[in-house]
Amino acid sequence: MRLSRIRIEQFKKFRQPIEIKDLEPGLNLFTGPNEAGKSTIVSAIRAAFFERHRSTSVDDLRPWGDTSASPTVELEFSIGETRYRLVKSFLGKKRCELQIGTRRLDSTEAEDHLAELLGFRYAGRGASDSMHWGIPGLLWIQQGAGHDIQGPVTHAIDHLRTALNASLGEIASSSGDSVLATVEAARNELLTPSTGKPKGAYDEAIKQEAALANDILELDADIAAYRQKVDTLAALRREHAADEAEKPWIGFRTQERAAAEKLEEIQRIEEALSNEKRRAAELDERIKLLHGQLETFARQEKELETREAELESIRQKLERATALVQEWQSKRAEAEARHEAARETLRLARQADTRLKLMRELEATRLKVKEAADTLEKAEKEQVALVELKRQAALTEIKLKDLEQLRAQDRQIREMQIRLTAAATRLRFALEDGRSIGIGNESVTGTGERLLLETTTLTLPGLGQLEIAPGGSDLTQLRAEAKQLIDTYEALLQRLGLPSLEAAEARYRAYTQHLADIKTAEATLKALAPQGIEPLRTEVAVQRARVQELEQALNLLPPETPQTAKLPSVSEAEAAEEAARLSLEKINESLHEARLTAGKEQTAFETATRELAAARAVVDDPQRPERVAAANRDLVDARAEQSTLAARIEALSRQLAEARPDILKQDVERFRRSAEQLEKRYNERLDQLTRLEIELQTAGAQGLEERRAELARDHAQAKRRLEELRRRAEALDYLLRLLRDKRRALTQRLQAPLQKHLSRYLQLLFPGACLDIDENLSPRSLTRNGSNGTELGDFEDLSFGAREQMGIISRLAYAGLLREAGRPTLIILDDALVHSDEERLAQMKRVLFDAATRHQILLFTCHPAKWRDLGVGARSLEAIRAEA
Amino acid sequence: MIKLLHTADWQIGKLFGQFKPDDGALLAEARFKAVEKLASLATENRVDLVLVAGDVFDAQGVADKTIHRLFNAMAGFQGPWILLPGNHDAALAESVWTRAERLKAIPPNVTVCLQPEPVLLDSVGVALLPAPLTQRHTYTDLTEWFASAETPADMLRIGLAHGSVQGVLPEDIDSPNPIVPGRAEQARLDYLALGDWHGVKQIDSRTWYSGTPETDRFRSNESGRALLVELSEQGALPAVTPLETGQYRWHSETLELRVPSDVEFALQTISAFGPADVVELKLSGQTDLGGYRRLCAAIEQARGKARSVLADLSALRLEPTAEDIDALKADGYLGEVIAELRANQDGADAEIAREALALLAGILDAQHAKAGG
Repeated sequence: MRLSRIRIEQFKKFRQPIEIKDLEPGLNLFTGPNEAGKSTIVSAIRAAFFERHRSTSVDDLRPWGDTSASPTVELEFSIGETRYRLVKSFLGKKRCELQIGTRRLDSTEAEDHLAELLGFRYAGRGASDSMHWGIPGLLWIQQGAGHDIQGPVTHAIDHLRTALNASLGEIASSSGDSVLATVEAARNELLTPSTGKPKGAYDEAIKQEAALANDILELDADIAAYRQKVDTLAALRREHAADEAEKPWIGFRTQERAAAEKLEEIQRIEEALSNEKRRAAELDERIKLLHGQLETFARQEKELETREAELESIRQKLERATALVQEWQSKRAEAEARHEAARETLRLARQADTRLKLMRELEATRLKVKEAADTLEKAEKEQVALVELKRQAALTEIKLKDLEQLRAQDRQIREMQIRLTAAATRLRFALEDGRSIGIGNESVTGTGERLLLETTTLTLPGLGQLEIAPGGSDLTQLRAEAKQLIDTYEALLQRLGLPSLEAAEARYRAYTQHLADIKTAEATLKALAPQGIEPLRTEVAVQRARVQELEQALNLLPPETPQTAKLPSVSEAEAAEEAARLSLEKINESLHEARLTAGKEQTAFETATRELAAARAVVDDPQRPERVAAANRDLVDARAEQSTLAARIEALSRQLAEARPDILKQDVERFRRSAEQLEKRYNERLDQLTRLEIELQTAGAQGLEERRAELARDHAQAKRRLEELRRRAEALDYLLRLLRDKRRALTQRLQAPLQKHLSRYLQLLFPGACLDIDENLSPRSLTRNGSNGTELGDFEDLSFGAREQMGIISRLAYAGLLREAGRPTLIILDDALVHSDEERLAQMKRVLFDAATRHQILLFTCHPAKWRDLGVGARSLEAIRAEA
Repeated sequence: MIKLLHTADWQIGKLFGQFKPDDGALLAEARFKAVEKLASLATENRVDLVLVAGDVFDAQGVADKTIHRLFNAMAGFQGPWILLPGNHDAALAESVWTRAERLKAIPPNVTVCLQPEPVLLDSVGVALLPAPLTQRHTYTDLTEWFASAETPADMLRIGLAHGSVQGVLPEDIDSPNPIVPGRAEQARLDYLALGDWHGVKQIDSRTWYSGTPETDRFRSNESGRALLVELSEQGALPAVTPLETGQYRWHSETLELRVPSDVEFALQTISAFGPADVVELKLSGQTDLGGYRRLCAAIEQARGKARSVLADLSALRLEPTAEDIDALKADGYLGEVIAELRANQDGADAEIAREALALLAGILDAQHAKAGG
């Protein structure tokens, strides 16, 4: 379908006619600000199709306040090759004319033709509503309604289905869905819809069957227990009967008694044996005693012998000790003599030595006395010389300070004279021979020169006198100073009693020489008598006293003899004396020791002598031989008895060992216990039997097996019912699955063409995405590749902008589908996609441009800037109005 | 001449869970009825003696009430009853018999043979040799002692035992209580009355199984009878006459449907069942939807007529014809579903597929009925 011209008059905003001509077969972009009349154009197109021209509910089509207006819409369009012209007026002048090629239809006929052609319905009464709009309702998107797709699709579904089926040439099942619903309901009575778990009657049947099976199991256990008890009862009865017949414990009692008797007999033997053993022990004791006695006798004799031998040995030892003492005594006498001699020699040697030492000291002391006297003499001479030197020095003494002052004054005087000479008037003269002149008081001849220091009168013989006054006052002052200096100088010389500086210098040199001589003399004296003269005198006196002392000591010594020269030295004599003393000491020790030994031996000898006497007294007792004989006799008797007893004991022991009384004791116990056990078991069994009989009688009355049979019957029935329900549930489930699968496959087949169109546009917006269509051909979910892999989102959960984009894409797809089915398609977008961001909008423009190659699209917007790159020129509504 | 009634395997207390509760209750009840019938037959035929060869009770642990009911049911015959414990009611240390005794339920004319020892019935001139089971399972021949048993020379020797004669009964019966063949002759018996096999069966000229007086299973045998035995004198061969005692006839029918006419035959068979029939029906082969509907209807009818009908259609394959499918008006994907279900009857889910197909057909029928009516 292609709209080529629109003319509107007395319609809402347009009191004046407005005409839009030359509409493009593809995209047409109309721009204008708010209130410019974009929506009026859209509603005019809608009204032209959807509203009956006779409708009285269309007052809102009139321009505001103009009650007499007849809103009129004139449309020219073509479908295929056929050209159409529709003129429709409302309210004031109700009219509808449809020109189809050369054919013309009027009023209702024309309107019904249009509805059939475009696929919509008219309202029964009142204004047309979205539910009537069918396919145009879907493709003509009103302002802000692009995101709402569900409603428009629902209202267009029949037309879309027809279009789909027309393209597919196939029909869906007429009764399939109701069968499916029936099967689903029946299945959901038995199984939960989501998980397919048994529910309701099926679940109850399962539980009942399980409960019964469990009851049977429990009862089976009871029955098994009961049967076990019956078997036990039978066994007990058999055992009881056997015991009754046999009474086996009686036999054991008899055996017990026999064993006990045998045991008693053995115990008697045991007693006899123990008696014999006691007797044997006594005998052993006696024999031991006798042996002891005899041994004592023998020991006594032996001891006598031993004592005798011992006494002899001690005696010999004593003799040896006594001899040793005598030997050591003679050796000590010799040693004492040797020691005495050595001591005498030592005394003499020491005397000689003393003498020698005294003599040597005397000689040395005498020498010292001589030396000291010499020194003293020299020191006294030097002392006298020194005193003379000191007197000389005092005579020539001059102070160095005075000398230096003299020297300084002399120098100043000379300097003063030089200055005087410089300042003086120089008077040179060269007189002819023989002539003289007087200068002052002096007269001069020849040539010479004079310095005039004061006014001087020149007397020129012959001529008069010339007075020459040297210029300046300095000269006068200088002369005064020079005179004062000379005065001081001469005063000092006077005080010193010297004529000149040279004399002073000579005097100082003599004084200095005297001082040096004194220093030398003092040093000499110091060397001779460091402590002074007096100590030297004392030393001489001391040494002289010492000489006297030594001479006295020498006189006291005995006179020298000729032997004296043969004496050994003191040290040798001391060593000899020491050796002799040590030798004596050692000999004394040995002697002492020998004496101790001899004493001990003596004591031992005396003891041994006493002991020997005692031993001899014992052996020599006159009754002793008789006692020895008696002991020997008794021993023989005892031994004979012992051997007899041993034989008897052995016989008894053997008898006892063979009888094994311990085992016999156990036998008695064993037989007794066996009998008791059997009796006890018999009695217990009797009790058990009674108990079991009563128990079984009680249990039997419960009719366990009959109850089990009943349960088994009920269980079989429950199982059968369960089986029936299970089969039904499985079959229903199976059937439902199959129905759904087939239905889904069919739906998919049916929707394939629509999907093809959808996919074409969707790929432009979301590459790789897939928009799922539900059974009612509405978009259901969007699957696309996100940052985290594949994302699946419900259509309703998408953002408003995305839903609007999907809504437009879906509509374009429906349009594609309709076009293929040969139905007219016109797409109107009133201010669409205002919620899309730039990127999406850019993609949507590509989509729209693509769609416009197949469908005519009218796009109204108040944002012309956004659509500048749509590839078509925008038509401003204001411009169009201005043209009109 | 001695006349006796030989019966066995009353299985009192047996219940029938495979049937609907009402039917099962009636079948259980029928066992007491059978005993009453035996008593009245004994009286009618003026027999000297009734021999019950084991398994009087189905279990040891029956309710006291059941014990009382049984002995009451025997009241119709005042002559001597000789009861033998079988494997179901063996004479254990504590058994249904000791309980019956304690309950004082056993009337004086009833003798229970709890011991393997001769019972001398002076009044009728019979020396009875019983072989009661005293263990739950017996692997030895309890009739062994018969041969060596001394009995008065002027009395008939009649053996009473419960077990399976070796090598005579079908192989699959692995009965634990064996009896050697030829026992009657070897032990010089005039008659050997046996129990355990539930149908009438003659083993040799003097040895018979009487079977149970009221059928209790589908396995086809000559059950529901008792034997009237006449012994003219010592050494003479017994004259044995089976008497009908059973109330219900048990049938096990396996019908295989191959060609359309097989359906007709099956319908005839099913419609022929009457009130005394207890039926087990197994249908296999294949049929179209029409045949299937008719079979189902016939089975429902038979259930109303016969005592009980157990029908198993799980092996029956549904083959809807083109007309069937047209009639179902299963267009669109429903048609595909039916085709797949048909095909799947050969696969792993064959039974489910068949059931689902039947269900779908039923639903479609119901919808068309609603739409049409």
